[in-house]
Amino acid sequence: MTTPVISLSGISKYFGTLAANRDIHLNVHGGRIHALLGENGAGKSTLMSVLAGRYQPDDGSIALHGREMRFTSPAQALESGIGMVYQRFMLIESMTVTENLLLAAQKKIGGSNCRRLISETAEQYGLAIDPDKYVYELSMGERQRVEIVKLLLLDADVLIFDEPTAVLTPVEIDAFFTVLKKLRSADKAIIFITHKLEEVLELADDISIMRKGRVIISTEADRKQISKRQLARLMVGRDVVLRVNKEEIPPGETVLRLRNFSGADVHGTTRFENIDFEVRRGEIFAIIGVAGNGQSGLVSAIAGLTRADSGEVSFAGSTFNAREWAKAPKDDMAYVPEDRYHTGCVGSMSIAENFALTQIGKYRKGATKLALDWQKMSEDGTRAVEEFKIKAQSAQDTAQSLSGGNLQKVILSRELSRNPKLFIAEQPTQGLDISATEEIWQALLKCRERAGVLLVTGDLKEVLSLSDRIGVIFNGRLLDIIDATDSDQIGRVGLLMAGVTS
Amino acid sequence: MIRLVKKSEVTRYSGLNSVAIAGFIAFGTGCIIFGLLGVNPLTAYTVMFKGVFGSFHSFSEVLVKATPLTFTGLAVAVAAVMMLWNIGAEGQLVWGGIFAAGTALFLLPEAQPYMLIPAVLVTAAFGGMLWALIPGVLKARFQVNEILTTLLLNYVAIIYMEHLFYGPWRDPAGFGFPGTAQLPEAAHLLRFLGTRIHLGFPLAMLCAVGLFFLLNKSSWGYKVRVIGKEQKAASYAGFNVTGKTLAVMAISGALAGMAGMAEVCGIHYRLQTGLAVGYGYDGIIVAWLAGLNPLFVPLTAVLLGALFVGGEQLQSVLGLPSTISLILEAALLFGLFAGKAMQQYRLVFIRSDSIPERSPAGRPE
Repeated sequence: MTTPVISLSGISKYFGTLAANRDIHLNVHGGRIHALLGENGAGKSTLMSVLAGRYQPDDGSIALHGREMRFTSPAQALESGIGMVYQRFMLIESMTVTENLLLAAQKKIGGSNCRRLISETAEQYGLAIDPDKYVYELSMGERQRVEIVKLLLLDADVLIFDEPTAVLTPVEIDAFFTVLKKLRSADKAIIFITHKLEEVLELADDISIMRKGRVIISTEADRKQISKRQLARLMVGRDVVLRVNKEEIPPGETVLRLRNFSGADVHGTTRFENIDFEVRRGEIFAIIGVAGNGQSGLVSAIAGLTRADSGEVSFAGSTFNAREWAKAPKDDMAYVPEDRYHTGCVGSMSIAENFALTQIGKYRKGATKLALDWQKMSEDGTRAVEEFKIKAQSAQDTAQSLSGGNLQKVILSRELSRNPKLFIAEQPTQGLDISATEEIWQALLKCRERAGVLLVTGDLKEVLSLSDRIGVIFNGRLLDIIDATDSDQIGRVGLLMAGVTS
Repeated sequence: MIRLVKKSEVTRYSGLNSVAIAGFIAFGTGCIIFGLLGVNPLTAYTVMFKGVFGSFHSFSEVLVKATPLTFTGLAVAVAAVMMLWNIGAEGQLVWGGIFAAGTALFLLPEAQPYMLIPAVLVTAAFGGMLWALIPGVLKARFQVNEILTTLLLNYVAIIYMEHLFYGPWRDPAGFGFPGTAQLPEAAHLLRFLGTRIHLGFPLAMLCAVGLFFLLNKSSWGYKVRVIGKEQKAASYAGFNVTGKTLAVMAISGALAGMAGMAEVCGIHYRLQTGLAVGYGYDGIIVAWLAGLNPLFVPLTAVLLGALFVGGEQLQSVLGLPSTISLILEAALLFGLFAGKAMQQYRLVFIRSDSIPERSPAGRPE
C-alpha cells in the first residue's frame, strides 16, 4: 500500500490520572474509509480531537504525508488539511449558509465568485444545499452537508466524522453514505467514528477498534470474513446478545389515555394534532417517527412541561382537560428526557444530588420538612452507582464527569426508583454504545412488569426489539397503531414513518 | 507564543488560589499607582496596614464598614446563586434606610427600644424587599432583564431619598442642612466596647450563617441552586421558577434593606447624603470574592472594609486621594476574574518554530 496520509505513533492523552488514549498507533490512507469503532468512553473522540488539533497529545507523534506535525489548534490542523465534523455542528444558526462558509473560509473563497465556488464544490460531491437559507431552517442532514462543504472549501483531504449518523434520518443516512463514497473516490482520507456495526460493514475499507483507550485491532475490512457478532465482541470484549429476551406479560389496567390531544412544541412551531392512544400496565407502547414530526412536543405536553391546546388526558384513574393536566400532580409518572445533559441532570452537581432532582420530596426531613437528608441522598446515589454499574469513583462525582451512557444510567435509575405507574423514555439510547443500550433495554423491559412504558424514539430497531404496540407519528398525526406481533403489518412501520399510508 | 489551554479538571482549593491571585494583582496595581504618585509603595502600604491594624479602635472601623458590606454582599450572593444579577442593592439599601428612618421618626416616635428596634428591622427589610420586587416581578412575569432594571432603579431610589430629606422630611431645626432630624434614641442600635461597632454587625453574621444553611442544606436552597445551574433541568423537575425568582429577589432586597437600616440606625442616626456611598455596588465584589458562599461573605466584607479604612489613612497621613482604595478594589475584581480563568485554563508557552506551516512540499499533489 502507499504511504499513509496520516500516521499516528504512540499517541497518549491523559485527563488528570485517566488515560483516555494509551500508546496508539494508527495509519489512515487516502481514498479509503477508515471506521473507528468503540464503546462510549473508549477514547475515540479524544483521539480524533488530538488529530484535529483540539487537544495536544501528552506523548507520541502525528505524521502527515510522512512529515511530523504538531498542532496547537484546530485552525492549524485545518491549515494542513485535516478537518473534523463534530457531533454538535459548529454553525451559526442566525446566519445563512453562504455567510457561515465565508466566515470559515474567507481567505479561500472570499470575493465575488464565492457563490459559484460553493455550488460547484457542493455539486461535485452531491451535497445539495441552498446557499441562501438560514442555518436554523436546515435539517440536521443539511447542516452536516454545510459542514462537509466547509471542509472541502478549505481543501481538507483528511475528513473526520464523529458519529455522523446519530442525528440523521434513514433517508439522510443513505444520502450521506453516497457522499462518503464520492469523497472516497476523490482520494480523500475519511475517518468515521461510530458504534453502529451495520454502517461499518457497509462502508469501511479499514476498521480499527478501540477499547479502554487502546486500539486493540486495526485491520482491512473483509466483508466475507468479518461478522457483526465478531465486531461486537471485539468492541466490548465479551459476547453481546443483540436480541432481547422478552417475556410475555399480560397487559394490565390502562394507566394513560389521550383523547384528541393537540398542541405544539415549546417553540410553537411543530404541532401535533388529535392524538389518541392508551398505554396499559405491562406493555411498552412505542411512538416512532423521524425527528421533527411533533413527537417532542407531544412528550413534553404529556410530561406536563408544556401545556397542550386541547384534548383530554386520563391518568391513573382521573381525567383532566389539557389546561388542568399541565398543573396536575405527576408523582406517579417518571420521565427520561431526550436531552440528558441539560434537562435530565445538572452537570455541575454530584450524582447523589442529581438523584434527588425529580424526587426532592423524598429527601425532606425534620419537623418543618425544610431540611434535606443529605445522608439518605448519598446512600441512594451510592446504591444506584453499584446497582447499575455506573462507572464513577463515588456518588459524589459530578454528573458532567460521566460518559453519556453512565449519565443515562443515573437518570434511568433515578426515574425507576420513583416507582412510577407510567414510565416515559424519550430517545433513551440515542448515542449510546451496545452494552449501555442493552442495559437500558433490559431495564425498560423489567419496568413494564410494574408500569406502563411509553417509549418515544426514532430508532426502528429499538422499537422492534422492545415494544408491544407501535404508534407511528408523521407530520403531527398518529398515522396508525400496529401490533408488534402482527407480522403482516410490522413491515409497514418504516413506510409509515416516511408518510406512506397506502 | 502564549496560549490558554483549558484544564481537564479544576484543581482543589483553586477557589482560594483565585483569591490569592486577586490579592496579588491588586497589590501590584497599588505599587504602580503609588509609584506614579511619587510615593514609595512600601511606605503607602505600611500606612494602610497601620491604619487598619494599628489599634483596636482603627480595626473596629473596619468592622463598622464590613457590616453593611456583609448585608449587601449576601444580597448579591443569594440572587447570583440563581443567576439573577441584582445590581440594585444600592437602591434597596436606600429604601431600607428610608423605611427605618420613617418608622423611627414618624410611625413610632414614642416607642420603647424593645418595640422600636424590631419594628425598624422589619420595616427596613420590607422596604428593601419591595424595591427589589419591582425588577423581580418584571423578570418573573415578563422576562425583563434584571441587570438593567435593578441598576436603573438605584437612581430613582437615591433621588427619592434626596427629595425626602431636602423636602418634606428635612429637619426644621437643622439650619437648612440637608437631612432629617436625628432619630429618637430608642432607635439607635446598641454599640459595643466604646467603638462604633453596633448591633448590625452580629445581625449580619447571623444572616450569613442563616443564608448558608438555607441555600446549602434546605430543599428550597437545592431548588434555587438547580435553577441557577440548569434552568431546563429545573423546569423538567417541576420546580416553580417564577416563585423562586420572586422569593430570591425578596430575600436579596430585604438583606440590602438591612444594610440601609444598619447605616441609618447604627451610624448616622438620620437620613442624609452619606447613606448612598456605594455599599450596594461593593456588595457585588464582596459576593464574588467570596465565591457566592454566604459563609465567606463576612470575610471578604472585612477585606474590603480594611481597604476603605486604609484608603482613608492614605489621605490623612500622606495626603493622597482616598479614592485609591477604589482603584485597588477594581484591581481586586479584575484579579478575581483572572484567577477564575486560571482555575480553568493554564498558560502554555509554545516555541514559534514548532508551529508547522502548510508547505506545498508537505503534500504530494
